[in-house]
Amino acid sequence: MEALDLLYNGFVNSLTPVNLVACFVGALIGTMVGVLPGLGPTATMALMLPFTMKFGVTTGLIMMTGVWYGAMYGGSTTSILVNIPGEAASVVTCLDGYQMCKKGRAGAALALVATGSFVAGTIGILGLQFFAPVLGNAALSFGPPEFLCFMIFAFVLLSNLSAEAPLKGALMIVFGLFLSTIGTNPMDSYPRFTFGTEKLMLGIDFLPIAMGLFGVTEILSIALEKYVKPQINKVRLRELYPSREEVRRSVYPMLRGSILGFFVGLLPGPCTVISTFVSYSLEKRISRNPGEFGHGAVEGVVGPESANNSAVMGSMVPLLTLGIPFAAPSAIMLAGLRMHNVEPGPMLFTTHPDVFWTFIAAMYLGNIMLLVLNLPLVGAFARIAAIRPQILMPIISLICLVGVYSVRNSIFDVWVMIVAGVVGLFLRKWKFPIAPFIIGVVLGPTTENSLRQTLLMFRGDVSLVADRPISITLLALAAAFLAFKFAAPLFGKKFPLKIEEDSKL
Amino acid sequence: MGKTARFRVETCFDFLMFVLGIAIAVMSWGYGFGSFGRPGPGLYPFFIGAAIALFAFFILLSNLRSDTAKPVLDRNGAVTLILMTATFCLWIVAMPLLGYVVVTLLAAFAFCKIMKLEGWWKPLAVSGGTALFIYLLFDYWLYIDLPRGILG
Repeated sequence: MEALDLLYNGFVNSLTPVNLVACFVGALIGTMVGVLPGLGPTATMALMLPFTMKFGVTTGLIMMTGVWYGAMYGGSTTSILVNIPGEAASVVTCLDGYQMCKKGRAGAALALVATGSFVAGTIGILGLQFFAPVLGNAALSFGPPEFLCFMIFAFVLLSNLSAEAPLKGALMIVFGLFLSTIGTNPMDSYPRFTFGTEKLMLGIDFLPIAMGLFGVTEILSIALEKYVKPQINKVRLRELYPSREEVRRSVYPMLRGSILGFFVGLLPGPCTVISTFVSYSLEKRISRNPGEFGHGAVEGVVGPESANNSAVMGSMVPLLTLGIPFAAPSAIMLAGLRMHNVEPGPMLFTTHPDVFWTFIAAMYLGNIMLLVLNLPLVGAFARIAAIRPQILMPIISLICLVGVYSVRNSIFDVWVMIVAGVVGLFLRKWKFPIAPFIIGVVLGPTTENSLRQTLLMFRGDVSLVADRPISITLLALAAAFLAFKFAAPLFGKKFPLKIEEDSKL
Repeated sequence: MGKTARFRVETCFDFLMFVLGIAIAVMSWGYGFGSFGRPGPGLYPFFIGAAIALFAFFILLSNLRSDTAKPVLDRNGAVTLILMTATFCLWIVAMPLLGYVVVTLLAAFAFCKIMKLEGWWKPLAVSGGTALFIYLLFDYWLYIDLPRGILG
């Protein structure tokens, strides 16, 4: 009952004009970003961080989740109509979505995807609403050793799931952890790697690094690509009605994708992308007509698109309950929350319950907004894909420059952003994943605090970890994962979840 | 030719990371390693530096053995990258002096031309629109005080 009261209060708080506008703007921008091949939700969320500073923490959180969520909705539009995925999580949708379009069923595919996204979003929010407080309470018993082991577990999975070469993922994580050590160490006020420079005393701010690596890198990357004008298939409102048979075939993939996506969202790595691949292969495996997949099977469109939407909500669970982001967009969210002096984690539900429940309520509203936005305006959104990058990228470049400068009025931050952007471009070319790096930067201070507190607690005897059941279980899981990863090729098996990180995570 | 380009740049980067890892570990030792029972400020970055060196070393090794190669940038790409970066840098240098509106207008125009937006009217319209949008967004709606330079 208490949860219902809190949710009711959440609805009251989220129904303020500012929060509703934030929800709408986030959803709209997210959908547009999802439609546009190029900019991904992470880059856009990083770009929007400076603007959220003007509003409260809840408003900022609602706006950023709206972007992430909207991008998942919008990503399918170009996959179906143009055969170009708007963002990484919609790559799978191209396989059958575009085939449906060629058969004249684009409208039906878009309508079913929008409905599936709505159902998945609602199931995802329900899951978040149920699991987050339960896990948050459980996490109250976590001490520094448990947090440290949980982060080691997350880093092991992240480096393996995010990169083509796990070593590159691991290198990116530790490099991110290093960057977070620059500046005065809060535990003993000792300046490290500052080289006597005053500017480095406070450390390197997260925002310019994120905007550089996701925003500027993307801009430079698009500037180097040759632009090919997409051929967009038109779709009219009256074509949006799916047939009874298509609806019947979509119901179970929708539900399966929603539940599966939520649980995949709990894993470290590019969860939205992984969830679509897992859902697609599941649907193909259990289908009575697997041969239809790749030729316009409605299950191959609805399942993955539902999965990526609920994965967004799933990935919010570790962020909100433990304060540990498992994906690049949630790392940006963590940074945004910290900019507002809110530290997510087990205490969030006691110190800032209003933030959590307003966020949940706003997500329900946002989900409805996205459905209303996406169904009638699908044709208009599809046309956005035709905007040339030569027009869009100069505008985004300048928003990056002015946006980063405006946060602290610091030219140094702008230099950091540009350097990060250029380095990010080469890292991307050499297939070094960016997401583990940014998660390393965000989690660096927590990792160091947990390590030092653990060592102090155990008086230097690390073997005492064995006396902590949760810690040792997490370490055992990490070790088992690594053992499986190394042993699988020896038995001629390919590791099924190895997914190359897409540039637009 | 392509193989050489990738070999040199990426291998140099891996080697640089390896050296950086060692440098971090050495510097961290200087900050005070302490002991496991009483960790000093250098303990954590020492292990981070060591891990960077270790991972970079193995990546370097695998890179040296790899024979897949593709040039990172062709000549046109390199020119575009240099011009884009130069425009970003010029914005940073000129913005405090000339003010953000003027510099934003000029930079947007430069970006349009670098990205080969044809003609003069379209780049002018895009840069004018961008400067106006930036002004409205930051100055008018968000009330953020940004350097105005010559426009006072």
